[in-house]
Amino acid sequence: MTFPYKGYAGYYAEVDLTKGKVHKREMEKEWARLYLGGTGVAARILWEETGPDTDPLSPENVLILGTGPLTGVMFSPSGRMMFAAKGPLTGVWAESHVGGFFGPEVKYAGFDFVILKGRSPKPVYLFLRDGKAELLDASHLWGKETDVTTDMIREEHKDPEIETGIIGPAGENGVLYSCITVDRYRAAGRAGLGTVMGSKNVKAIAASGSLGLEAHNMDKYLEANDVEMQKLSDPIWTDSLTSLRKYGTTDLVAIINEIGRLPTKNHWTGFYEDADDIGPEIIAEKYRTGQEACHGCEVGCKYVYRVKDGKFAHGPAGGPEYETIMAFGSNCLNNDIESVFHMGTRCDLLGMDTISCGKSIGFAMELWEKGIITKKDTDGLDLSWGNVESMVELVEKIAKRDGFGDVLSKGVRKAAEIIGGDAWMYAVHVKGLEASGQDPRAHQSIGLTYATNARGADHLRSLSSLEELGYPEIVKARFDDEKTDAILDIMSPKHKGEVVWDIEDLYALVDSAVICKYGTMWPPVYYFDTFSNVISPLTGMDEWAQPKFVKQAAERINHLRRAYNHRLGITRKEENLPRRLLKEPMPTGPSKGGLPDLDEMLDEYYDYRGCDRETGFPKKEKLEELGLDFVAKDLGKRKMLAK
Amino acid sequence: MKNLLAIDVSKCTGCRNCELGCSAVQTRTFNPARSRIKILKNEIETTIVPMVCLQCEVPLCVDACPTGAIVRNEHDTLYVHDDDCIGCGNCVTACIYGGIEIEPMTRKAIKCDLCGGDPACVRACDYGAIEYVGAKARDLTKRANGISALSPFYRYEEQEAEP
Repeated sequence: MTFPYKGYAGYYAEVDLTKGKVHKREMEKEWARLYLGGTGVAARILWEETGPDTDPLSPENVLILGTGPLTGVMFSPSGRMMFAAKGPLTGVWAESHVGGFFGPEVKYAGFDFVILKGRSPKPVYLFLRDGKAELLDASHLWGKETDVTTDMIREEHKDPEIETGIIGPAGENGVLYSCITVDRYRAAGRAGLGTVMGSKNVKAIAASGSLGLEAHNMDKYLEANDVEMQKLSDPIWTDSLTSLRKYGTTDLVAIINEIGRLPTKNHWTGFYEDADDIGPEIIAEKYRTGQEACHGCEVGCKYVYRVKDGKFAHGPAGGPEYETIMAFGSNCLNNDIESVFHMGTRCDLLGMDTISCGKSIGFAMELWEKGIITKKDTDGLDLSWGNVESMVELVEKIAKRDGFGDVLSKGVRKAAEIIGGDAWMYAVHVKGLEASGQDPRAHQSIGLTYATNARGADHLRSLSSLEELGYPEIVKARFDDEKTDAILDIMSPKHKGEVVWDIEDLYALVDSAVICKYGTMWPPVYYFDTFSNVISPLTGMDEWAQPKFVKQAAERINHLRRAYNHRLGITRKEENLPRRLLKEPMPTGPSKGGLPDLDEMLDEYYDYRGCDRETGFPKKEKLEELGLDFVAKDLGKRKMLAK
Repeated sequence: MKNLLAIDVSKCTGCRNCELGCSAVQTRTFNPARSRIKILKNEIETTIVPMVCLQCEVPLCVDACPTGAIVRNEHDTLYVHDDDCIGCGNCVTACIYGGIEIEPMTRKAIKCDLCGGDPACVRACDYGAIEYVGAKARDLTKRANGISALSPFYRYEEQEAEP
């Protein structure tokens, strides 16, 4: 083996599904050195393999499973992995990350990446074990829900330690926001990567391994890791960790409602009067039966719920996170928490993104209220706000793409096109991705985050908690002193372009390493120095000890993802917000009257990113400085460089 | 002076960081499959059971070993003497706690040797579920109480023995 870096498994599997062949290849040295892993490497591969002419659901699309050097080694929280492809829901860059135990297991099975190409003539699943990768028949698994599929695969190999990434019936049926469910109740949910997997006739990827991961210098690495863990154990974060361990992300329902940012009634407002009914206290008191953690994680935010009786009796099972509670709860004016548990779990089993699914239902409910759709359109369902029976039935209909469910299975952008009229006014999305559980009318910088996120309206590429929760010391340490007050003002657009640019770079490394947003997003403990501390002793890539090299790698990854989207036609015009979040002042609650100043933030962001204000295109010099000459050449030919 | 590990199952989140810590010290790699401590998970029942050698007073593994490979070190801790182990797996069958296993790479028995007095798993556990204790009465009580959280799953209450 000539791949020189440690921390990686050292190989990737390139799968030609059309021919049914698996090629085991050694990792590319330059992928690791320049793009680290995860998102960075996926961007490099997708740039090469897909483009404007690639139909996301055709055999030409490429689905990538990615891990990073920190996946599966001792670093909390490092049990993460990611998937990427050209997105079927949005038509642009799509990536989705997930925790649990599957990512580490893929590495222990001997692979850093899996690249799925083509389309299998019949249902198959990919099985990885101790350096071998093989395609196995999945005809008997097709149509099964995700938990049963996991059990069947484990049974088949008589190995209870097999971890899985699986699509459910929704992914097989082509629901455009299908997820890849991992370890039963975790999901690479957003942007429809499960749909891509389904289009390739791949039911699952399963892994079990006993191969170890080496460190370049184990003692130095463990020392560096201790330093980082000490930061997380600092008493100033005790409250944050205690809350995460007791409530998980459900605590956000209360915290976010308090600042008037909890999407309610299809994003009409940011304040939900009945938030307590679906909030952290009632869940912890009445339904929470246990706490779990992803691989090697000291945050431990996952909770287990159980509904003892009633029509939604279920469990124990993994509990819904903040976003799911928002999507099926406040967003649909539904204060029945037991129904939220039910729909969250159904989505895990059917293999659908809870955010897009809940948001599509909320969108339909608003159209019903406005009289744009009636019983004739909805197969007789009454879609009044909070009608739990109809919501539960719609979830099943969407997964089957049955009747009105088929319309909603395409996401709000396409559904609005099909329904026509004024429906588009209520479709809350960016680039076709339904907005997640934030609102820029109560938190300026999230508007910029939504607009610039390569995969669409979502917080996970650059959400800043610095002003959201107020961390003056950290703001002072990261930015110029005189900017502190303006940055900490959640409704001021000033310097938010710089903040989002900085955090987007930081998260590019988080997503490539691959680690969790907890510890970086909140509490905001890890920063660029974390990566310069740990990556070099782990991998032996000396350059990664230099802060400048680390920052440049982050910028490189972001520019490559942006360039990928430019090539598909994304410009400043598309880096925008939906009408509701941009033009309708917040009608009620603590953030009443709020609106984002998107243009001001966007101008500043483009300046920092090294892009043209008018188009959003990158400057040629910037790309060349980052070693992206091949991107500069390609975009140059297409006239997509800054003037 | 004898020592052992007391594990409070109710505090364990199943994150398996102990496995990473153990394998880093024992094998110089990150490899849960070669760890001396194991987390057993049942996702259907959502039970999480950490399994490690309990340093038994009457060790069944010792009696089961045909070559006498399981011996005590200077700290009175049972360990496997590699040169003598033939990998027959008798000890694995004998141990009713799942405290000893066959290593996937060396094909020899492995069990916890308490890292010579500074167990890596204790340091790796951020939830305080693993404690390094002595072997006095109160320590043994702690070791026993630590697993009481599992009782409901095994329905001990329903199976009370006849007097």
